[in-house]
Amino acid sequence: MLTATQPQSVSNTRRRFDAQVVSNTSVCREHFCLTLGIDPDERGPFPATRPGQFIQLGCQPATLLRRPFSLAGRKDLAEGRVELQIVYRVVGVGTRWLAQLQAGDTTDLLGPLGNQFQLPEGKSLGLLVGGGVGLPPMFYLAEALKQAHWDAVAFVGALTEDLLAVTFGGSEPAESSGEPSLCIEEFSKLSIASAVTTDDGSVGLAGRITAGLERYFDTLSEEDRQRVVLFTCGPHPMLHAAAKLAQKHGVDCQVCLEQAMACGMGTCQSCIVQIAEPDNPQGTTEDGRPWRYRLTCTDGPVFNADQVIF
Amino acid sequence: MTKSVSQESPCLAVNLAGLKLANPMMTASGTCGYAYEYQDFVDLHQLGAFVTKSISRDPRPGNPATRIVETPSGMMNAIGLANVGLDVFLAEKLDQLKQMRQGGPALIVNVAGHSIDDYVAVAGRIAQEQEVDAVELNVSCPNVGDGLTFGTDPKLLKELIGYVRKAMRADCKLIVQLSPNVGDITLTAGAAIDGGANILSMINTYTALAIDIKTRKPRIANGTGGLSGPAIRPLAVYLVSRVYREVAQKAGVPIIGMGGIRTWSDAAEFLIAGATGLAVGTSLFADPATPVNIMAGLESYLAEQDMSSITELIGTLEMPVR
Ligand SMILES: Cc1cc2nc3c(=O)[nH]c(=O)nc-3n(C[C@H](O)[C@H](O)[C@H](O)COP(=O)(O)OP(=O)(O)OC[C@H]3O[C@@H](n4cnc5c(N)ncnc54)[C@H](O)[C@@H]3O)c2cc1C
Ligand SMILES: Cc1cc2nc3c(=O)[nH]c(=O)nc-3n(C[C@H](O)[C@H](O)[C@H](O)COP(=O)(O)O)c2cc1C
Ligand code: FES
Repeated sequence: MLTATQPQSVSNTRRRFDAQVVSNTSVCREHFCLTLGIDPDERGPFPATRPGQFIQLGCQPATLLRRPFSLAGRKDLAEGRVELQIVYRVVGVGTRWLAQLQAGDTTDLLGPLGNQFQLPEGKSLGLLVGGGVGLPPMFYLAEALKQAHWDAVAFVGALTEDLLAVTFGGSEPAESSGEPSLCIEEFSKLSIASAVTTDDGSVGLAGRITAGLERYFDTLSEEDRQRVVLFTCGPHPMLHAAAKLAQKHGVDCQVCLEQAMACGMGTCQSCIVQIAEPDNPQGTTEDGRPWRYRLTCTDGPVFNADQVIF
Repeated sequence: MTKSVSQESPCLAVNLAGLKLANPMMTASGTCGYAYEYQDFVDLHQLGAFVTKSISRDPRPGNPATRIVETPSGMMNAIGLANVGLDVFLAEKLDQLKQMRQGGPALIVNVAGHSIDDYVAVAGRIAQEQEVDAVELNVSCPNVGDGLTFGTDPKLLKELIGYVRKAMRADCKLIVQLSPNVGDITLTAGAAIDGGANILSMINTYTALAIDIKTRKPRIANGTGGLSGPAIRPLAVYLVSRVYREVAQKAGVPIIGMGGIRTWSDAAEFLIAGATGLAVGTSLFADPATPVNIMAGLESYLAEQDMSSITELIGTLEMPVR
């Protein structure tokens, strides 16, 4: 189940929760899937969540500051217990510490944090474009799209096959054609086809994620193009390329951004991003667009791509 | 000396130059915004005082990203005093802060500026608000070039504080936040007191540099950043003890201690060194309830020490005689 239906009396306020490790399994080289169990506190169960939102996970004593991770999935169990899933790549001290956690270990988290992907009226075809550690929120979003009766296609990319944090199964990923197929279980279980690209061509189409996307746009009917929203998360250059493609093809695009964060609550002002806004601008770009700093942790992490100053 | 202590839990109330607080715990400026961003995570009414982000005369966008980096047991920041500016603060933020204050905590507004005129204008205007219990001057933020000058030059600091004190409502306390980035902090502390500061708060962050060895560039876009968190705690405790013994105690000026406070025992160290108030900054990011958790720990510790009031602990450091 994706979003909890909350009884009226419980608090939906974001806050700190204790969490127990349910499982922490290796997905592929350097990547793990962590499932955290959260029991209700005195104010009720862990609040309802939506795709795009994230948690600030405690990695103490390894790190002083918490580490932000996108929700990759959620399950609501009996008696208000919630299981949250994140998928992470080991890149430093905090994630190395996470990797040694075992079932039964405990930590804590702040959440749910941030805004969410929007499913605008009149649209009904979601393109899920996830590169590297931008993939996890796409798993969660895929479930939400299905619940909302949207069609969806996933575009999945990594440097090389063993860094793709997905479960291959069903059909073979298409190579030279780049055509989406039911080749990734996280998506195919929801009847969502995936196009796979790797920079070195070790699996799927060789090249950047946008190469597969470009081909897809070429095959899209005008009627379908009208229905499309492109949702993307991943490395900055990939987001920029995907946003440019969306603009070229005249489709809406929502990007999920990452920025170094201290608090995740909106208090420290560390996680800024330049957003194009005509009102009360704080500056203008070289090409004359007025912008303001917005906070990735509370105004984001999801922004309309055409407002992000890349 | 033995004393009979009642079964009641020890009293945590403190008096900061006439400003009475239910307990010494405060938030450090810049680490919990204007309160509403933080209130989901902790019951603000339990705090002794709430300190806002620095307010400047004009709104400031702040520095470009990356603004923070974690370092061993600490973090560096170069936020660049990003804030909404005086007008928006008064129009949009102050009412919520006043409401919070009704529930208990004193309201302290932190003020930053480029010039004496700036400080006088902002502190003077803010002190007109009856609900503002104290104004804290940020003269030490090392991120903006001009912030450093007042905080490191005793003569200029005294002059600044003289003007600001005169511009403020008489019963609104003036707190001066000292910079550790000086040769002898007792000189700036003394100058602040001579200028008319009612309370000293110390310390702001240490200027520091972290380098990305791949690019050979600073890891923070601004270049340098201010170091905070447990990494600076022993340095801060030392400076508090010096200022207390060499200047503040004689002058009867209380100190708000800060710098890396995370646990009740950290808090106790600052109290023993001579602090009357205690502010928590960086540790709020790790656990927003830190100040509240510290109170429970302090109560048990005081009971264990046979003390019925926290005031008995302040400045009780026994330094070896050299
Ligand atoms: C909203 C949000 C959602 C995220 N979701 C996920 C996710 O689902 N899965 C996942 O694996 N990662 C995710 N990240 C990135 C993750 O937070 C970082 O990888 C993590 O903080 C690194 O911690 P560390 O202690 O292991 O690395 P550190 O030792 O702190 O740093 C090691 C290296 O990682 C880089 N790094 C540190 N923080 C970040 C960051 N926030 N973004 C990018 N690079 C960083 C550093 O520059 C450094 O090169 C997300 C980040 C944000 C802001
Ligand atoms: C992210 C961040 C922002 C800060 N912003 C301000 C500020 O706006 N004004 C100010 O006077 N001090 C500011 N400070 C300094 C703190 O108030 C405090 O003096 C310092 O961080 C030491 O305490 P700590 O170690 O508990 O964080 C900031 C500190 C941090 C970490
Ligand atoms: S991480 Fe602190 S404001 Fe966003």
